[in-house]
Amino acid sequence: MDNIVLKIPYGTRDFLPDEAKEKRFIENKIADLFAKWGYKEVVTPTMEYLDTLMFGANRSDESRLVKFVAKDNRTLALRHEMTTPIARLAAMRFKDSHLPLKLSYISSVYRNAEIQKGRQCEFYQAGVELIGFQSAAADAEVIALAVYGILAAGVKNFKVSIGRVDFVKGIMEQYRILPDIVEKLQQVMEGRNLVEYEKIIDALEISAEGKATLKEIPYLKGDCEVLDRARNMALNEQSRYAIERLVEVYSLLETYGVGEYVSFDLGILRDMNYYTGIVFEAYTAGLGFPLCGGGRYDRLLSDFGRPLPAIGFAIGIERILLAKEREGNLEKNKTTGVYVAYAEGKLKEAIMMANDFRLGGKIVSLALQAETEEQAKLYGDENGFDEVVYLK
Amino acid sequence: MQDNDLEYLTIALPKGKLFSLSADLLKKVGYDAENLSEKSRKLVITNEEKKIRFIITKTADVPTYVECGAADIGVIGKDVLLESEKDVYELLDLGFGACHLMMAVPTDRKRAKLSDYAHTRVATKFPHIAEEFFTRQGMQMEYVKLNGSIELGPIVGLSESIVDIVETGTTLKENRLEEIARIMDLTARLIANRVSFQLKFDRIETLVRDLKKIL
Repeated sequence: MDNIVLKIPYGTRDFLPDEAKEKRFIENKIADLFAKWGYKEVVTPTMEYLDTLMFGANRSDESRLVKFVAKDNRTLALRHEMTTPIARLAAMRFKDSHLPLKLSYISSVYRNAEIQKGRQCEFYQAGVELIGFQSAAADAEVIALAVYGILAAGVKNFKVSIGRVDFVKGIMEQYRILPDIVEKLQQVMEGRNLVEYEKIIDALEISAEGKATLKEIPYLKGDCEVLDRARNMALNEQSRYAIERLVEVYSLLETYGVGEYVSFDLGILRDMNYYTGIVFEAYTAGLGFPLCGGGRYDRLLSDFGRPLPAIGFAIGIERILLAKEREGNLEKNKTTGVYVAYAEGKLKEAIMMANDFRLGGKIVSLALQAETEEQAKLYGDENGFDEVVYLK
Repeated sequence: MQDNDLEYLTIALPKGKLFSLSADLLKKVGYDAENLSEKSRKLVITNEEKKIRFIITKTADVPTYVECGAADIGVIGKDVLLESEKDVYELLDLGFGACHLMMAVPTDRKRAKLSDYAHTRVATKFPHIAEEFFTRQGMQMEYVKLNGSIELGPIVGLSESIVDIVETGTTLKENRLEEIARIMDLTARLIANRVSFQLKFDRIETLVRDLKKIL
């Protein structure tokens, strides 16, 4: 029996008591915050029909889904994110409700992914979706909530970058770049391949100024000054609108008191294909991946038959855990409370005492058999109880 | 080493032929450190004054260090970068380390067309890139992953062909191999971690602009 090692599936993990406690702490803080902002929690199935999850996704995303076959021979997949299931829910189940819909979730999601720090096949996300409004007020509320969410979870040092996917589209349009080239440019940008991006631009037959502008896009990062630079580049309505909207949202974010966390990135990229307007990501030093990501998706719900604008975000719980560990501010995750132990014949007395303690709000662990005072002390110390009560 | 230190820029450099070329290039734009040498026993070399850290790693590990954020930026051959399939920014073509990836077969057993090699075995260090190439040609192949001396494959009967990197072609000739398909040209690249490219953007941008001036 000694040599048996039972493995768990690739990309999954166990949370031992201290880790699970930390995870629960973070989730509780975030859940409380979402509730305070008027977002109502929903729970959707872990698995959905593959077709449902593929609405608004890239075809290449399909290989990242964990799939299996249902009894009726249709393909099922584990949800790879929560936005699509909630869009389905909103379109199907809230047909006659007044807008906006403010929904939240804390769920596990699943992807066939390469294992890295903070990147698992099963991982946990907390997020919100705000459905029904397209305004700057909606954009700002959701971004502000993301900032407060990360703060509530206990991460102190981070930055949120915001941009708009329609800015890039507008710029491409103003130089009349052909659709297949636009697609190519987007593809290499998504692959973060700026070498190839510049090569494609060099081969275009447009003005030198146009080439310089396009090449500048990935480098449009920083504070408000970037918006001025971007405004000078924006010559058509679409790209100008994108900039003006960012200015408007930023001024609201300052009112929310989160301006110091926000900067701009007009070349920002997001994994999901369904984003239409503002997009954002939160970063912390030393963690190679974003803590949180989100954006506006105004077409996904119409794919489900209910044309409504929407915006949302998801915070990665494991990434918050990693970030807090790096910052050295994990909660005191020792067990605290009272260990109640007793001598032979004192069990009933001990049960009554434990009941009283619990009623008084204390955490109590009751011994399951009579033991000596020394044994009780030893167990109490080893398991992190700050008090041991022994009934003689 | 404080890995979450925002003050420092950490640069991963590969051991081997790209090392001195990268170190020299970075030195020209003011990025250097005392005792920065491939043979250094220290794995992390710091320039406290300029707040730069160098990590010297095995070639194939550079993209991993950068993807995870253990290094902010790195220098790596395009071949290794492509094969690693890592999610990193590819910022600059550094121009050096030029070579190309190609398919070669034994001269005395050369078949008429490329497609005559369909469903045969190909020895390579780069199965992902090779597969992408053959798929585009509509060919299915059997890939034999080797870590070095790829030319040995056809000689000892391990494979019918090889996909490997060539600089001058001398090794091919010595082993009586002949190039039959050029797959792609390769040079060294400057890569960056996606979060570092946000949080340390000013430093990285300045570095990129300075490098562009001298390339």
